[in-house]
Amino acid sequence: MDKQWSALTREEKRERRLKKFLSGEGIRFRSSQAEKTYQERASRFLKAWMCQEPDRVPVTLPTGFFPAYYAGGNLKKAMYDYRFLEEAWLKFMHDFYDDMDSFMGPNFVFSGKALEILNYRPYRWPGHGLGDNVNSYQFVEMDYMKADEYPTLLKDPSDFSFRVIVPRAIGSLEALRNFPPLSAIMGMPLIMAYPFTSPEIRAAFQSLIEAGKEMEESQKHMAAVNKEALEMGFPAAGGGLAVAPFDVIADFLRGTQGAILDMYRQPEIMLEAIDMITRWTIERTINNVNASGGFMVSFPLHKGDDTFMSNKQFEKFYWPSLKKVIDALIDEGIMVSLFAEGKYNLRLEYIKDFPKGWVVWQFDQTDMARAKKIVGATCCIAGNVPSSIMLTGTAQEVKEYCRRLIETCAPGGGYVLSGGATATEARPENLRAFMEAAREYGMYR
Amino acid sequence: MEKQWSEMTPAEKRAARFAKWLAPPGIKFVSRRAEQTYRERVNRLIKTITLQTPDRVPVILPMGFFPAFYAGSNLKNVMYDYRELRRAWKQVIRDFDMDVFDPPALVWSARAFEMLDYKLYQWPGHGLAPDASSYQYVEGEYLKAGEYGAMLENPTDFGLRVFLPRVLGALQPFQTLPPSSPLAGMPMSYVMSFSRPEIRRAYQTLLKAGRELEKWGRAVRDCRRAAVKAGVPVLRGGFTTAPFDTLGDSLRGTQGIIMDMYRQPEKILETVERIIPLTIASAVATANASECPIISIPLHKGEDGFMSRQQYEKFYWPSLKRVLTGLINEGIVPLVFAEGRYASRLEIIRDIPRGSVIWWFEQTDLALARKYLGDIACIAGNVPASLLVTGNPSQVKDYCRRIIESAGQGGGLILNGAAFMHRGNPENLRVMMEAAREYGTYR
Repeated sequence: MDKQWSALTREEKRERRLKKFLSGEGIRFRSSQAEKTYQERASRFLKAWMCQEPDRVPVTLPTGFFPAYYAGGNLKKAMYDYRFLEEAWLKFMHDFYDDMDSFMGPNFVFSGKALEILNYRPYRWPGHGLGDNVNSYQFVEMDYMKADEYPTLLKDPSDFSFRVIVPRAIGSLEALRNFPPLSAIMGMPLIMAYPFTSPEIRAAFQSLIEAGKEMEESQKHMAAVNKEALEMGFPAAGGGLAVAPFDVIADFLRGTQGAILDMYRQPEIMLEAIDMITRWTIERTINNVNASGGFMVSFPLHKGDDTFMSNKQFEKFYWPSLKKVIDALIDEGIMVSLFAEGKYNLRLEYIKDFPKGWVVWQFDQTDMARAKKIVGATCCIAGNVPSSIMLTGTAQEVKEYCRRLIETCAPGGGYVLSGGATATEARPENLRAFMEAAREYGMYR
Repeated sequence: MEKQWSEMTPAEKRAARFAKWLAPPGIKFVSRRAEQTYRERVNRLIKTITLQTPDRVPVILPMGFFPAFYAGSNLKNVMYDYRELRRAWKQVIRDFDMDVFDPPALVWSARAFEMLDYKLYQWPGHGLAPDASSYQYVEGEYLKAGEYGAMLENPTDFGLRVFLPRVLGALQPFQTLPPSSPLAGMPMSYVMSFSRPEIRRAYQTLLKAGRELEKWGRAVRDCRRAAVKAGVPVLRGGFTTAPFDTLGDSLRGTQGIIMDMYRQPEKILETVERIIPLTIASAVATANASECPIISIPLHKGEDGFMSRQQYEKFYWPSLKRVLTGLINEGIVPLVFAEGRYASRLEIIRDIPRGSVIWWFEQTDLALARKYLGDIACIAGNVPASLLVTGNPSQVKDYCRRIIESAGQGGGLILNGAAFMHRGNPENLRVMMEAAREYGTYR
């Protein structure tokens, strides 16, 4: 970025970030048709995201781990067999090339071997705590941070994470709890080397090295998939993922139960921690976007759902910090896509308050008519074909559901047809019904 | 039932540590005679430290790296070859009559240093001539003047991503790690950096250096145990530095820290404040792992010529005093080595509990030190290294006699060098013991 960056308006900043995305500059397209399709898709999405009318409603399929099953395997196989992973996702990309405007890569398929080497406790996965043919992960919530540990977290978060959280969450790194405080490195560099005289500490880091090799290997295959998809004409807005500050605490540190108790028993220090996490999230997310060259950040939202907390709590604990992060990103010319898992019917009045055309709200079970009315004036909305229909309904039913969504949400632009949640073991024809509906009912001119 | 450690008073804690020093756990003495001599020697030291009158003045032979040269080797060889290290230090145990043995804990592992590309030292064969008898410390602005804020805000992260890559070349890839605190709570993001080969290589080097340091540590412990079993106590239960020196020596360098005293005094004070508890915690941990309750603290930048009295009182002493107090409260005896001259500080450093610290002086006049500190602390020193290296035995012995006469009345004195001799006539060390026996016997 040149030196006048800070003097630019957010629109100018966004324009610079978007340049590459729109032109496809630097991509070695597989054909001129691929290039043309790329540009159509990129501008279709961008218009929708900016609350304008594109040529037709863009389609994002609720892919999930569908490609693994479509290729005759399952999630477990994709987690352990990187070559299969690559082949499956590429097959899906080619076979559904005309049925979607965006391609969801295999980035959420973690390396089973790496997780095993680490004895990674926050996840169970097929073959490891779950049945071999289970099609998803089980997130294992725990109070990895205890109720009385907020002050330690606040005092030196890096150290707390390294010596307390990591050894609790990652079985192979239990020995790190005996590592001396890293803050003592201040002026004493050998503090970092001496712990490695302990065979237990060395074994812990050896496991990280082994897991790292597995991850690198699996990343190579994922990168190959993503590269081919890009070169075939699927644009990537890629600015990475981020987590709402409250969710960092409630998902990863304290667990649901702990977070709920904290809202009642120690709200002040919880807010202090949220404040700190907000600052990091902003810093880290902007860094990530700058490093990736993308322009859009995605947030999967969890604990702000209607049933998890009251509006009063949402106002106090969940929304202000998340809003602060989003505002900061927008100021940097970065767009934001939020996936509101569960129901957000009670939150619609809060979440609309953004400059027009910067924020995309993807809804799971929220009433889309109200969402369109309240949020749709400023934000693009997306959603929400239920997974239940995807899995148990007919293609005709899916198409019909899509038609109603398009009729409700598409007028005036600012809508992306997509699923409420992922539909890993969906019938292939139910996925194809999305695009059929978009072509038939979602043309703007 | 025994009292819990946390409920014990400082005096009780010290008594417990002294008891452990007198009867080191897991040690089988080579003979009853060795055991008896060991106790006598430790008792002599304890009495001297606590300002009682012992049987005679105890002596520390200021050998430094002398054992390497005495054994026909040199510092370079023993830094690279732990067998040589063992051989040299064990030979000294056999050949010298001494009250105290200094294990080769400061003979660093050159192999580990090389693997890590350690930049704070030059050593023989690595920046210095192969036959050099000591290290050269390499000061630098490893913390830049404008970086105090970043370090204070998050010392761990700053340490990992900024400081370590500057002083340990092998960890240079850490510069490219993402900020670590935002990963708190997301353990997987922490793991992610290991998918990068250069990060794995940096850690591989740490593993290798760790294995090397483990071997080296075994050699040092071996020497130490050999001495104790033969009846010679060790006066080194660990090592730490004054908070101001941690900042001035390893982070800012002399020039930087002098500027900071004028340009950003608050930042110094804030940083030093943060260093205090880290210093205490790590010193207590090492003392706990040792049979010896003495933690040595070499002092650098508080010396007379380095800063004014006002600066000493503002920047140097308060944090050092808190470290001393913290250690004393844990029953530990700090052995504070005032390098250079300390005459103008003597009044200030009186401010510690009686009989709880050993003050070792280099060029400060011991009679003067005795005048100011005699009722407060045991003092040690200070046969000049120049005399030890270039003088003859009778000159050394005479110098020792004068020290004992001017600063040793009634106890409270340990006869010691002003600094380490490293290389020179073995007789010059032996006469120090002679002098103590001849002139320093109290009854």
